[in-house]
Amino acid sequence: MTQKTLQNCGKCGICLNACPVYKLLKEEQASPRAKLQLIKAHDLHTLASSPFLKDLIHKCLMCGSCSAACPSGIDHYSKFMEMRQKMVEAHGETPAIKSLIYLLAREYRTRFGAGLARTGQKLMPTGLAEKFKLGNIPLKNFPEFNAVPFRKAHDDIISPKGKPLGRVIYFTGCATNYLYGDTGAATIGILKHMGYEVVIPKDQTCCSIPLLFHGAKKQAMKNIRTNVKALADIEAEAVLVDCSTCGEALKNEYPRLFEAGGKHLSDARNISSRVTDILSFMDLHFDLLEFDPAVTEKISVTYHAPCHTRNTFQSHFIAEKLLQRLPGVTYHRAPDFDQCCGGGGTFFYEYPEVSKKMVDKKIESAKAMQATHWITDCPVCRMNLAGNMDESDGLRVLHPVTLIYAALKRI
Amino acid sequence: MLNTEVKTEFIQIVGPGRYLDRPEELACYSYDAFVEEALPDAVIFPQTTAEVSQILKTAGRYKIPVTGRGAGTSVCGAPIPIRHGIVLCFSKMDKIIEVNTRDRYIIVQPGVVNADIQKALLPFGFFYPPDPGSMNSSTIGGNIAQNAGGPRCLKYGVTVDYVLGLEVVLASGEVIRFGSRNIKDATGYKLSALFCGSEGTLGIITEAILKVLPKPEAVKTLMVTFDDLDNTAKAVTDIIGSGILPAAMELMDQLTLNAIEDSANMGLDRNAQGTLLIEIDGVQEACDKEMKKIIEKVRENGAVHVQEAGSEMEREKLWTARRSAYGVFAKLAPDIISEDVTVPVSKVPEMIRRIIEITTRYGLRVGVLAHAGDGNMHPMVPADKSNKEEWHRVEKAFAEIFKAAADLDGTLSGEHGIGLAKAAYLPLVMNQATIDFMKKIKHVIDPDGILNPGKFV
Repeated sequence: MTQKTLQNCGKCGICLNACPVYKLLKEEQASPRAKLQLIKAHDLHTLASSPFLKDLIHKCLMCGSCSAACPSGIDHYSKFMEMRQKMVEAHGETPAIKSLIYLLAREYRTRFGAGLARTGQKLMPTGLAEKFKLGNIPLKNFPEFNAVPFRKAHDDIISPKGKPLGRVIYFTGCATNYLYGDTGAATIGILKHMGYEVVIPKDQTCCSIPLLFHGAKKQAMKNIRTNVKALADIEAEAVLVDCSTCGEALKNEYPRLFEAGGKHLSDARNISSRVTDILSFMDLHFDLLEFDPAVTEKISVTYHAPCHTRNTFQSHFIAEKLLQRLPGVTYHRAPDFDQCCGGGGTFFYEYPEVSKKMVDKKIESAKAMQATHWITDCPVCRMNLAGNMDESDGLRVLHPVTLIYAALKRI
Repeated sequence: MLNTEVKTEFIQIVGPGRYLDRPEELACYSYDAFVEEALPDAVIFPQTTAEVSQILKTAGRYKIPVTGRGAGTSVCGAPIPIRHGIVLCFSKMDKIIEVNTRDRYIIVQPGVVNADIQKALLPFGFFYPPDPGSMNSSTIGGNIAQNAGGPRCLKYGVTVDYVLGLEVVLASGEVIRFGSRNIKDATGYKLSALFCGSEGTLGIITEAILKVLPKPEAVKTLMVTFDDLDNTAKAVTDIIGSGILPAAMELMDQLTLNAIEDSANMGLDRNAQGTLLIEIDGVQEACDKEMKKIIEKVRENGAVHVQEAGSEMEREKLWTARRSAYGVFAKLAPDIISEDVTVPVSKVPEMIRRIIEITTRYGLRVGVLAHAGDGNMHPMVPADKSNKEEWHRVEKAFAEIFKAAADLDGTLSGEHGIGLAKAAYLPLVMNQATIDFMKKIKHVIDPDGILNPGKFV
């Protein structure tokens, strides 16, 4: 059976119930099924290409919940990415998204952009930062950029005390590198505590999911080749990610993109087979975690399961399990803990009115849990959840590693 | 495209946000899960009965066809606007108005998803029995319009058995309400039975009072495999014949089972010629006793492997697999036809033999899936509609399958409805006078034929 025959949509509608955008808008044109039909109509030339068609195709979180639920095994990702590329080629991209692509396409530009933004944050008068919003998020609620990019601030090989148990590669992603240094520091701390030698390849760059999602395949491929080259030849038992979207890229998209074969395919497969999210890795080696007996105070925690954590790694239950096993933590599951927050890469910026409704629902039910900490393992979810709250909401949003690292015995 | 005057009138009723007519949007309301497609001229999302009434009055004045739609999961083309006009989409009219488990009813708007009714009832220990395969997406309005069924309807009955009362907007825009909150109601014609399965040809449902039941204390689920399909079917008739009425008895043949296994990887026995998924529910002690007897009966019929679901999670997994059958089959070819001919349960083995004989003769692949306990068969044929020669064979095969069902005292549809798929075959199961009688009813209520035209009446 060829790949093509495996991509038949029976229009059964099971994806409607899986799609966060459809469930909110209750409009067929927002559904994954409709997007496949629109793509088909466009390919068959029964529907003309238009900026509005581009908009309908882009009104999607790229969360992968439809693929995960689809009984026909349709690879929505590839279909949507391919169509997004066609739409961007035909109708262009907004200046803001264009600049994002421009920045992410070269590491030095990303670094430069982050540096500029940091300076901007420092210089911006408080009044402006409160007034201006990106999507629904006031600029003052955005995380502060790392003073020094995380990878620059750390050696490329970090050794634990004593003889290493093994060796792992840490793919930091852009978020940890430029925004959430705390996640990176905790990840390294945990791995050292466990006795692992951590390799942080200096040449790694953006995983390129944001580029692929915005139809910038050419720019993406350059980054992807760079990453494959940077990771493939390092001997290590695992390639660890702290962001499940980077994980989705390394695990599923890279091998798919090199389907044609050659050295890149075997390298991509080699990387893919070793990709693990940090939570699953800790769960697998839980016996290596030694907790600080001095921690007796209990904090109340709830968890938001990011889409790619659910759909690519199914590690959201692992996150919950880890939180439950953590001394000093009382875990409360919110009834909608596995529902999308509406962040979706740049979705929160492109469709603020849809995103706002999703995130407000999440915030309401998380607050009902009476927790002080809201844990999530995706930087965009973190930015979106934290950005849409203020101090009066009383919830601090963190990556699980930060909490786990804080509970470990210092050795 | 509707002319500006009409368009303006509709927009005045619902506002610009709930009126769609751009080609990109219209394309999304041209299909359901059936193989036909037709573009509407506009899509309107009403949210109140008054809006529906006004829309129908306007549509009536201009004689514009109006086709109702819920989530578009019909497999017979019922919501496809084959004569164009307006698609009235109810997905945004989705409020649960009242949950009253003490009096055993729930009142809902038509766009409420079946699964959301179940969710609303769960905290009270109640459930709404009809459980179509599409229940996680499909709306109650569509369920009623098609008189939907589902696996557990074997024991509990189908949608019509749970509709206590309806509010319906007629083609004239008049609003009628019939039935009541009472389980017993012998007041006048049982009009809910007329509107259940009317497929939007007689009126537009805007509110429903549904009967609900307390959730049984215990559920047991059993998966049984056989090395012979005939024996599988015979086991079904034996169990029913012995006086046990399971909640569900789902039969799958080898092709179906393998398609599911390809997709779900559940460790199902790929060599099994026939598989039964049997569920019983009720009081714990009764379930234990019945389960014993069922196991006896399947063993007598040569069951190879008998496995009971050990946990709720295992049970859910088995049902998810079963519900995915249509989707996993859909991927085998660009198009899929799934029919739902139904025969008396004693004729199930014979009907399965005939389905296989007919499809084999026409050189087609067939997956046989059946709610076997109530004789509701789902032969699924993956094919390519653009391949004219193959499609011709598909049509001929299904014509023979319908004929075979009729010959075995069966009927065209158990739970999907007639829609576009089976309209031509009505004469197989009813005489001309009966068809005329339906047409007369239709003509009296909808003289201009604006409600879902081009369907079975």
